[in-house]
Amino acid sequence: MMQSAPFTFRRIVIWLGRIILGLIFVYAGCSKIFLPNKFYWPLAMLKFSVSANLSNFGFQVESYKMLSAAGVAFVSHVLPFAEVALGLLLLIGWRLRIWAAMVTLFLLMFFTVVTRAYLLHMDINCGCFATPEPVSLKKIFEDGALVLLALLMTFFAFQEARKPHPWSASSVPQEPTLVR
Amino acid sequence: MIRRSLFATLALASVGSIVLVGAPPAQKSAKTAARPTKSASATPAAQTTITVDGVKDIDPSKAFGNKNAPVVIEVFSDFQCPACKQLFTSTTQRVTDNYVDAGKVYMVHRDFPLPMHAYSRVAAVYARAACHVGKCEAVEQALFQNQERWEANGDVKGTIAGVLTPAEMKKVQSLVDSGAMEPLVEKDRQIGQAIPVNQTPTMYIHPKDGSAIPVVGFVSYDVLKTLLDQLVK
Repeated sequence: MMQSAPFTFRRIVIWLGRIILGLIFVYAGCSKIFLPNKFYWPLAMLKFSVSANLSNFGFQVESYKMLSAAGVAFVSHVLPFAEVALGLLLLIGWRLRIWAAMVTLFLLMFFTVVTRAYLLHMDINCGCFATPEPVSLKKIFEDGALVLLALLMTFFAFQEARKPHPWSASSVPQEPTLVR
Repeated sequence: MIRRSLFATLALASVGSIVLVGAPPAQKSAKTAARPTKSASATPAAQTTITVDGVKDIDPSKAFGNKNAPVVIEVFSDFQCPACKQLFTSTTQRVTDNYVDAGKVYMVHRDFPLPMHAYSRVAAVYARAACHVGKCEAVEQALFQNQERWEANGDVKGTIAGVLTPAEMKKVQSLVDSGAMEPLVEKDRQIGQAIPVNQTPTMYIHPKDGSAIPVVGFVSYDVLKTLLDQLVK
């Protein structure tokens, strides 16, 4: 009989991390691509809408005053799609260690730039989602909590990978069958 | 003769009863609107608004271009908002140069001072007054370009004075002091709230077909150009 996976603390954290961070990343990416301007038809208007939203996000990236114009253009056009892809990969769970580590790096980066903006008293919007949210202590705590979850998830994912999964073939080597 | 005096008495009685009881609310508000206020008498031109392609209550001093243009753009902005500054300096001015001046777009600037910004309403009132003395572009440019400075010290007047002659500044100050500009700014804000405008900057693009395309947040000139080129062709 197949043995079910034991419900350990490690696995709970991994599952929570995958679901929470995966959904947040997908939502964050989609909101930057499809909001605040939301024309979906005809296709020319959809294209305009997406371009306008990415341009708006570009302004938010630029407001951190950390990147050149080319860097801002690159980040604003790549980051939202990368967030959607990473979120989906986390939810799927394929090659979890790689994508969990990537998500952790992204979150560490977000946490650093938001904290920097807060410490420099920059009166800017976070740019985390489509709705304008000022950079505040609350935002730093939120980001910090997500970083912690991501770190734990990644750490546990690596630990889990060292152990054979209970659903996989038995870890006890089977005796070779004698062929007569 | 008796019938005529009876008629006159009845007419007087009905007029008297209307005066005593009061007119219906709609008539009351119409009366109030028609009554010349102190501010309106100070600047009669300030109360004149126009309608272009279904876009109502346009203050002509804050609208630019050809009224018969195929596209009307309303821009709701706040002088203290950084995204509005960015929109003005990198997008709106280029739209003005390439589309408004070419007669392809009629651009309407609407004030939408946000309550969280301490000086944006003052800036809007001064800018409106400057528009009424024909110095709209210079003053709006000065306010946006020096945004960080007057945001820090509140010196809106000094910022505007830098681009006006003393005579123009005197006219602007008298318009501000008359209180005629405040209702116009408030009117724009109310129009925005009714739409509703949820954040600044927000643009409403009105093509000839009567539709309205909202463009929320900052948008670069190149992106806006792709849409405008489709609408004006």
